[in-house]
Amino acid sequence: MTREIGLRHRWIRGGLALVASGTLASTLACSAPAAAPAAPTTAPAAKPTTAPAATTAPTTAAAAAAKPTTAAAADAKPTTAAAPTTAAAPAPTVAAAAGAAASKLKVGMAVGGNTCCEWMKYQGDVARALAEQRGWEYVELSNNNDGPTAVKNADIFVQQGVNAVIEFNGQPSVNPVLAQKFSAAKIPVITYDIAQPGFYFVGIDNLAAGLAGGQALGQIAKDKWNCQPDLVISAEGEGAGIVNTWRTGGMRDGLKKVCPDISEDRYVSFESNGQASVGLPVARDLLAAHPEARKMLVVGLNDGGVLGAIQAAEQLGRDQDIIGWGQDGSFITGPNVDPHLAGSVFYFLEGYAVYSFDKVLDPIAAGSPPPVKDTAGDPAARVEPCPVSAAEAQDIPDTQARAQQLLTAPRGTTEFQLFCPHK
Amino acid sequence: MGSPPAGGSRTGAGGLRAVRLHGWNTTLTLLGAWLLLIAISGLHRADFLAQQTVLAVTFTMAITGVLAVGQALVAISGGILDLSQPTSLILSAYVTSVLLALGVPTVVVVVVAVALGAAWGCLNALVIVFGKLNPIIVTLATNFIGVAALFLVFQSAQAPINSALRAFGRGYFLGLPDIWWPMVFLVLVVGWLLPRTRYGRRTIAVGGNRVAAQARGVSLRRTRFGVFTAAGACAGMAGLLFAGANAAFSPTAGSDFLLPVIAAVILAGVSLAGGRGNILLLLLSVGFLSTVPTSLAFFGLTSAWQTVFQGAILILAVAIDGYREKRARRLPRPRRRRAPGPRRARSPALAVAPGRC
Repeated sequence: MTREIGLRHRWIRGGLALVASGTLASTLACSAPAAAPAAPTTAPAAKPTTAPAATTAPTTAAAAAAKPTTAAAADAKPTTAAAPTTAAAPAPTVAAAAGAAASKLKVGMAVGGNTCCEWMKYQGDVARALAEQRGWEYVELSNNNDGPTAVKNADIFVQQGVNAVIEFNGQPSVNPVLAQKFSAAKIPVITYDIAQPGFYFVGIDNLAAGLAGGQALGQIAKDKWNCQPDLVISAEGEGAGIVNTWRTGGMRDGLKKVCPDISEDRYVSFESNGQASVGLPVARDLLAAHPEARKMLVVGLNDGGVLGAIQAAEQLGRDQDIIGWGQDGSFITGPNVDPHLAGSVFYFLEGYAVYSFDKVLDPIAAGSPPPVKDTAGDPAARVEPCPVSAAEAQDIPDTQARAQQLLTAPRGTTEFQLFCPHK
Repeated sequence: MGSPPAGGSRTGAGGLRAVRLHGWNTTLTLLGAWLLLIAISGLHRADFLAQQTVLAVTFTMAITGVLAVGQALVAISGGILDLSQPTSLILSAYVTSVLLALGVPTVVVVVVAVALGAAWGCLNALVIVFGKLNPIIVTLATNFIGVAALFLVFQSAQAPINSALRAFGRGYFLGLPDIWWPMVFLVLVVGWLLPRTRYGRRTIAVGGNRVAAQARGVSLRRTRFGVFTAAGACAGMAGLLFAGANAAFSPTAGSDFLLPVIAAVILAGVSLAGGRGNILLLLLSVGFLSTVPTSLAFFGLTSAWQTVFQGAILILAVAIDGYREKRARRLPRPRRRRAPGPRRARSPALAVAPGRC
């Protein structure tokens, strides 16, 4: 019996070490998939968000267009990726890819892999479909919203001999490492939303998007409460680093532009990690600690975080006067929109691949790589933010439907052109 | 409430008295810690002692408490821990959301959600029992598999905003959250039944001394199946409440519950070595742990501190559990006259309820 107990305790310690280390949550979600990116052909393990994530064989464009959520069958001929040539230059490797000199590229896509957001999956699906439309090879891995995984994935892309990489890396602290690896391998890289010197920047001006959302919310506060809310709640997502600063901070700044007299002590924050379910209990405690607040505004990194605060107010019976404005448009379409979510700023993130292919990859494939523009101020391709009220959002399809419509639209058409009511 | 009905003694009458006192000690310690926390927070800010705080704490208690009941059953039965609770919670919540969106009647959805959780627990039990594998490793593995599989199915889910379940998730009964009451009901029912029913006593007996329990004719397989299925059903019920209380959730959303649930179980005096524990004490331990983050918010500390405190409390609780185990083993053996005939295996649970398994 004593021996049994001892044995049990050893097991317990092992399990509890995982729990107490605080990494269990991420371990459960990420480590198993992340631990397996040894080869992209084992993609399902590397990216749990999409079943056949890292298949290297090209698939039929038609099937993918019809159903972007699933991988299509492979019947197109895989092209042999040309190894990067010697036409390298310190300035990132574009010439090398051009030196591939084939009309067909082998494109690597590192999706974000944050569990917060459905669009991350579709971002990969759309890229896959566009690659298939062109008859290109496509390799997809998930960064699992984890820096070390992003670095491992970079190694895999290099091993696979891809001609270009698209990165959505939510952990920008490792971007310099990625840049070094890709530069050494002379692989051009497109980065979404988070600038990195030497990477083509495709994305939104997050600060501009934050400001736009904040101003829209400020206008509501001005009309409804004469710019005198009791509390301005920020649903932060510190893990997103500078993006959180731009978006959430930008929303606060945008709000201050319309309502400059809100005193600083009325601004409070909580960590939502960009997820409603994570933010809910924290926001509930925050609201309990401000029992006097009635008129409340909520800004945040994304719709999910904002929704967490709104739900908390509803549970505490204080939802009469709470108004939120989100970012990314994840929860402002469809039949389940919370009545207190007044609007969101759409970036149509799932459709970023259109910009990447149109402005960067197609020219590379054609042998005339564009100059590297690596800042949000002077991007390779700029995605327009689209602030949309809840009423306007009713006419915008949900993420999956948007992705499907995008893939059936004429080549080069963006979602902003298709869906934004303020073109 | 304070006495440990689940296998109170390890060493006969003297030991039984000691452990009973020990059980009250746990109760009083928990109650004292909770009251102290409330008092300190109230002194810091008087508005801590307000209805909003009660609501915040009781909302937090609801899902944690339901999961803790399942986890405590597993621990008492000697199964150590069920680390796959996050998956069964989300599986149940996801299916609940889908069925409600399809217009399936709420009553049916409730039954399906709980049954699904039970089925998940049954699956765990199958692997554990027939594979003769360590439960903590099996459930850790099934949790990995489950989360990855859930990712293949969905990224984000929402129960329909106008559904009865969502209304239940934000509603009140007698001034307290609707979702708090099922938790209280479950704790009371399981806590009352466990030491008073044949099945409950078998569960305790298997956890206390499986050899002795087997000698008494208790089927380890059947008991373990039952325990993991019941724990799964608890997680299924928690998933139902979770779907009602949350605006949206992802496949990993259940992971955050594991730490407070395990801490609550250990704090309540449930022995991870099995055979001992009082389900009713979960009301105190879950209440105490649920008050910590709210209290921290009143002190202006960020949510990161919440995890720090919970981790520290867990370590403390594990240390206390280890101390209890050692102490229980060191208790003086009562001198008895040895009866003629073959010696009987000693079992804590069977000592409490001899011959009733």
